[in-house]
Amino acid sequence: MKKLLIVTLLLFSSISLFAQDVLVEAESFDNPGGWLVDPQFVEQMGSSYLNAHGMGKPVKNASTKVNFNKSGSYHIWVRTMNWVPGDWEAPGKFQLKVNEAVLDTVLGTRSGWGWQYAGETKINKKNETHIELVDLTGFNGRCDAIYFSTKKTTPPSSPKKLASWRQELAAEPNAPEELKTYDLVVVGGGLAGCAAAIAGAEQGLKVALIHDRPVLGGNASEEIRVHTEGIYGNFERILKKIDTKHYPNGSAESKLDQQKRDENVKSYDNIDLFLNWRAYDAISEENSVKYVDARQTFTGERKRFTAPYFVDSTGDGWIGFWAGAEFSYGRESVDTYGEYWEEHGELWSPKEADNAVMGSSVLWGSKDTDSPQSFPEVPWAMPVSKDYAEVNGEWQWEFSRNDLSQIDDAEEIRDHMLRAIYGSFSNAKKDEVNKNRKLEWVSYLVGKRESRRLVGDHIFTFNDAKVGKEFPDGVVIEKRAVDVHYQTVLEDEKNPDFISEALFYRGPQYYIPYRSLYSKNISNLFMAGRNFSCSHAGLGGPRVMLTTGQMGAAVGYAASLCKKYEVMPREIYTGYLQEYLDLIEEQKYEKIPTSKK
Amino acid sequence: MRRLALGILLLLTHLCEAQFGSAVAFPNSSEKTVLDKSPEFFVLNWKQGTILNRSETPMEIVVDSVGAQKVNIFRDNSDAPVLYSSNIITPVCADGDCRLMHITLYWTLLGDYAGFDRSSEEPLTKHDHDEFLFSDYWKLHELLKDHNSILKRRAIDELVTKPKPSTIEGVDALSGATIKEVKESVVSGALYSCYVAWHLVHGDIKDQIKAFTVAQQTEGMLVRMLNNENINYQMYALENLTKNQYDTNFSRISTLFKSGIPLVRSFIIKNLAESFSKEPNKMQPFWDALPYIDINTRSLLLQHINTASEATVTSISGQLSVLTKNQIRDFLSHLENKSQISSEILKNLRAFADSSKEKNSYLVVQFLEDNS
Repeated sequence: MKKLLIVTLLLFSSISLFAQDVLVEAESFDNPGGWLVDPQFVEQMGSSYLNAHGMGKPVKNASTKVNFNKSGSYHIWVRTMNWVPGDWEAPGKFQLKVNEAVLDTVLGTRSGWGWQYAGETKINKKNETHIELVDLTGFNGRCDAIYFSTKKTTPPSSPKKLASWRQELAAEPNAPEELKTYDLVVVGGGLAGCAAAIAGAEQGLKVALIHDRPVLGGNASEEIRVHTEGIYGNFERILKKIDTKHYPNGSAESKLDQQKRDENVKSYDNIDLFLNWRAYDAISEENSVKYVDARQTFTGERKRFTAPYFVDSTGDGWIGFWAGAEFSYGRESVDTYGEYWEEHGELWSPKEADNAVMGSSVLWGSKDTDSPQSFPEVPWAMPVSKDYAEVNGEWQWEFSRNDLSQIDDAEEIRDHMLRAIYGSFSNAKKDEVNKNRKLEWVSYLVGKRESRRLVGDHIFTFNDAKVGKEFPDGVVIEKRAVDVHYQTVLEDEKNPDFISEALFYRGPQYYIPYRSLYSKNISNLFMAGRNFSCSHAGLGGPRVMLTTGQMGAAVGYAASLCKKYEVMPREIYTGYLQEYLDLIEEQKYEKIPTSKK
Repeated sequence: MRRLALGILLLLTHLCEAQFGSAVAFPNSSEKTVLDKSPEFFVLNWKQGTILNRSETPMEIVVDSVGAQKVNIFRDNSDAPVLYSSNIITPVCADGDCRLMHITLYWTLLGDYAGFDRSSEEPLTKHDHDEFLFSDYWKLHELLKDHNSILKRRAIDELVTKPKPSTIEGVDALSGATIKEVKESVVSGALYSCYVAWHLVHGDIKDQIKAFTVAQQTEGMLVRMLNNENINYQMYALENLTKNQYDTNFSRISTLFKSGIPLVRSFIIKNLAESFSKEPNKMQPFWDALPYIDINTRSLLLQHINTASEATVTSISGQLSVLTKNQIRDFLSHLENKSQISSEILKNLRAFADSSKEKNSYLVVQFLEDNS
């Protein structure tokens, strides 16, 4: 049993004097069973949690063992949420089993993340206490933590109070105690982050690659399954180590590419790979990132990373956000950059700026079997799916709404898509032709297209793509059409709100300048991926993964020159551009080993 | 027999890459000079008793192997332009087999697809020479209505060859989703006819028609567009009316705010942002529409909550169930900034907080706890 998981102490406040408290973090269970650790929404709801993602079939129990210091009668609260409250049974119901007794209270039934009282139980400190989560539905019941206390005082619910309560309970110092030092710290292991790490490592940098999932690739991973699109540009050699084949989105073929990608990145001795580590803070001083702090998503262990240069390839621009980098979100007004396209008017670029962004997808699929397959009724899904019937979901399954932030409301967005999927599949199952069909795979990870865009020295716009503007530092090249999505419900309220349409502008080859790949105001911060410096419409073309991979490789090489001359990213453009371009040219080909020359 | 002869003729010319040229262009004698009823497949509303008269325009569509075909304009009794049309005869060739497609196409004043009439003598046919059924014409109509169809960005060759994974830079191979989209949108067995028709309707002529209309634009035309049910007419009018014209047509605009599509509503409210503070009473119909409008527009409306009357704020406090989580948060934060919250608002909040069926009731519970 991991010591750090469970924290037991006598609280020192006068109210809790003599109270015995034990907080068990669900993500740290010894055996998660069929439950999945879901760390996607830590910044919003406070923690990784266990998610019973059984696609309608109850998952195997999660279990752990806890040692108590004091025997007695304990009150138990579970931090959970009914993810679709309404006039129906909660979809994600579960129960708590303590030793051999299943507590009567059905959990997962309170609206909004918070503590649900589970009941009271006797604990004998002489024996290890066995705790299990018993899933009742298979429809995404969720458990963040279990709190035992001899006093019946509900723990705090408000996010701020909860964070300090947790920290106090865990007796955590403000900063992580372990400090790791590198030449380059890359946060986010999607295509951009992987390419940045490889490029930096090939040039001799000691690189940390921090990624909050067990596998690399982000949207291209086997967990989300979007194929990589775009061209290789100057970085074919590197990108072929981490790309995917052009299989249909959602295909299980992604598993083969997953293996290739993970093996290739791991083959670099000077890349320290921190899988299942999620950055939670960046500390900056004098407009420069000093540290990135990260937490292991299962154990809660923390580490501090320092380096002269950082790459923000988190997609959501978290490092920049925490460090105070300028960023933008939403659609600029049509006049901001003159991105007018008459054919699509307001859908393309609005007269007044707004919060609209391209949405997130949750891919899914089903398969035919030899025998009839049942699927439960899902009344809680029907208000979203309505009468839409489908047996699999491609890229058009996308959700964005202006009152929802793709960052702060990502859990609600993911949950909306789950309702759309389960409801549409339930509708399809009512058709005799689908009686043998069963859900094969539904992602529980939200695949984002657009979120924060960090501001660099150049903001790449639709017009740069439209005219194929050439830049002296145009290190990223793309031919793909500029492709901006919108929700079809904007044109007809009868359409489902989770289906999008793409507007394509087919133009010439275009270039993204290096100046869009480092922060304007945080001197040592690179960015690569969808959070690079661009406008909303400018993101339409280069948001796909071979292009974002090119960005990653480009900043990896730039970082190596930064180290060589001990300069900041901007100075590569102002003082070392030719050497940078030469380096990019040279790296295209594998070097012949000296022995073979 | 006649069709067969023409087919052979066209096939020969096609193979020789020759063109008939305008000298042998097909006559458009079958095209109507007066429209006294709606085209058979039509997207606009047709008012009973409407009579439209045809006149010529300098515009034409050049069809491969056939030559230039006239684009005409139809005007109403007051000489106001209403529709454009062209009687099209065009070869459709598949695998070397060419046939003529006869169809009369209609465009709106903005160059959008408006509808078509089929030829009674020369029905459309499929690849296997079967004539189109009514349902096939209907599907073609649906396809032509889609200005952003998959056919727009794919060459015909891409749509008929079996997809295979792309290994060439910059080439997007057809994904499963694309194949499905094509299959769902075209008439089965008539991909080439659909492709040709779509590109005729949505080709260069669109911009020419719009420019032709814009050159004769009047206030009356804009007002007619505003009052039309066609979304693009509404948007065009809203984009081009002056501030004074907005005032004159305010009644229609506030009706559209309630009944229009989300895109139209959002555009209206963004355009009238200043009016909320300058003329709050006038904007009351907008507040009254709150429960009936889409979520995005409602968020835009709630951005003006500081200008709303106390009665409106009270009314919203009784309609929290139509608001989303973040909209409720914004509304509560507005209340938090007020020096005093009325007893009626508090009563409404308590009722919402006590409801077991409201998924966001916990937000109001927390608010009442924090502000008690």
